[in-house]
Amino acid sequence: MNILTIALRNARKKWVRTSLLLLVFSLGVVSIVALSFVSRVVGEGLEKKLVSYGANILVSPKSEKLTVSYGGFALGDMLFDVAYLDEADTVARIDGIALRQNVSVIAPKLVVMDRVNGAAVAIVGVRFEQEKLLKGFWTVEQGDFPATPEGVLAGSAAAAKLGLKLGDTVPVSRTEGPTPGAKLVVRGILAPTGSEDDNVLLADLGQVQRVTGRPGKVNFVEVAALCSGCPIDDIVGQIAATLPGVEIKTLRGIVEQRMVSVHFVKRLILSVSLVILLTGCSMVGISMLSAVNERKKEIGILRSLGFSRRAVFSIFCAEAAVVGLLAGIVGYVAGYLVSFRILAVLEVEGGGALPFEPLHLAATALVLALLTSLASLFPAWKAAGIEPSEALVTL
Amino acid sequence: MLEASSITKSFRHDGLTAQALKGVSLTVAPGEFVSIVGRSGSGKSTFVSVLSTLLAPDSGQLLYNGQDLAAASEAEINALRHGDFAVIFQFHYLLPYLTALENTLLPFMRGLKPVSRAQKTRGLECLERVGLADKAMRLPGQLSGGEQQRVAIARALVKDARILFADEPTGSLDSATGSTVMELLGQIHKDGLSVVMVTHNEEYARLAQRVVRMEDGLVVQA
Repeated sequence: MNILTIALRNARKKWVRTSLLLLVFSLGVVSIVALSFVSRVVGEGLEKKLVSYGANILVSPKSEKLTVSYGGFALGDMLFDVAYLDEADTVARIDGIALRQNVSVIAPKLVVMDRVNGAAVAIVGVRFEQEKLLKGFWTVEQGDFPATPEGVLAGSAAAAKLGLKLGDTVPVSRTEGPTPGAKLVVRGILAPTGSEDDNVLLADLGQVQRVTGRPGKVNFVEVAALCSGCPIDDIVGQIAATLPGVEIKTLRGIVEQRMVSVHFVKRLILSVSLVILLTGCSMVGISMLSAVNERKKEIGILRSLGFSRRAVFSIFCAEAAVVGLLAGIVGYVAGYLVSFRILAVLEVEGGGALPFEPLHLAATALVLALLTSLASLFPAWKAAGIEPSEALVTL
Repeated sequence: MLEASSITKSFRHDGLTAQALKGVSLTVAPGEFVSIVGRSGSGKSTFVSVLSTLLAPDSGQLLYNGQDLAAASEAEINALRHGDFAVIFQFHYLLPYLTALENTLLPFMRGLKPVSRAQKTRGLECLERVGLADKAMRLPGQLSGGEQQRVAIARALVKDARILFADEPTGSLDSATGSTVMELLGQIHKDGLSVVMVTHNEEYARLAQRVVRMEDGLVVQA
């Protein structure tokens, strides 16, 4: 038994009012928590989808191009020299930038031209584990992703053009070093993607580097950045700083679209949350204010028994804080459960991975207790100002 | 012990000023039982409210054990209300959501420090003294008017007050219950507590050692 007993007993005695207040405030918290969870899952899904569209930063060595035309005969753009990047160094440097957490994929590539079954084709050396993350839209129509360095994944158009089937060998004959060429085996054929990948053969980067005598070399590196929390310019700036002398291109359209989408969802949630919180706080304030007027005599008794203004102030704040604390707990748990239902109704995947975080629950309850206490400051101040004479004395 | 000199108090209502006390003086000695009687509007309730510090006078001097209460800080007044002074009203004014025992122990619930076991025992003793030990866990709504008034008296007793101010303590009770309450006040006085009681019941007033009669904001018989 102490001063909090007064607050708790009154809340229990006025259970209808307390329950209504709790219900309204809990509904507010449910909305905020559920919207927050849903927006998180939708945001993450959006990121994944957007990332699946491919890279948004291209890192390549600087090269000189010449547009050759002579005697009325145009040769088009010609590279003065083919330049390479060192794979390990480039990947390590990109991996080491401050905004690494916003970089989801680093996919180095080496492109070589060869002749297979009498037709010219580009063989692209890739790291398949990175490529799978980068090209979420890929579907292997026949076979599977190569599991060994000798495997080849053929683009749909390239396979048709070269007459390649699963298990066919692809000789790589064009080498620049002492290493002899190798025979690669078709392990999978991609479904049409509508991109350049349809026209190429994809092989393990290490293998392509080895057989073409370009160990550790790559032509370019594709980088996929998540930009919900960072400006793309910062990532580009950090890569440029760590890799001086390379050319960095951003596919701004996609990146900016990502940022706009994610920020829009976040702003929407923030606005709705603020409105709900303000409404809830107003209700607590109004309810406490009417309670002060109803309980003038009680306040008078307490003051006549020597309760200080501060003690009376504390009782009203504590009553509001109890509602906030309970609403925070009830609202968080209910919001967490409701978010699964919303995700199911919206047919959004990824809800199963939603973690229940006790620390967030505690933080929500504390923040709500603080907010309701703040909302009751004016009523509590009014209560503390009541003199016993005006409440009790019949003159 | 308590000395009021030339106390004045007026109230303004709708632009009109009513002079409730017109220079009233009274001295209450330790252990004395004083009754203040008078007709409605004579200023007796206003006077006892001033004496118990629930109402500040416009002018005059109020001394308690030599301390000028007009010049006392709010903390000192709170300490007096919590300690030496106890007030019971015509309407018992119990907190409806606390049990009889909790209402009795209310003076000890001013802070976060929990009520001690000794204080609880004291509360039960006080309830026993007013004949309500068996109803300690009942809420005020489950008690009769007389029982509620006795809980209010137990609440005054629990803190070992020196002066009990009673403003029409039997005003809302039937005569049998009123007599019980008066008997209780008599016992409390015998235990050494000073009692200042406002009443319009002449019979109850005569139970006091001294009867002070008020009329029109003035003491006409001390």
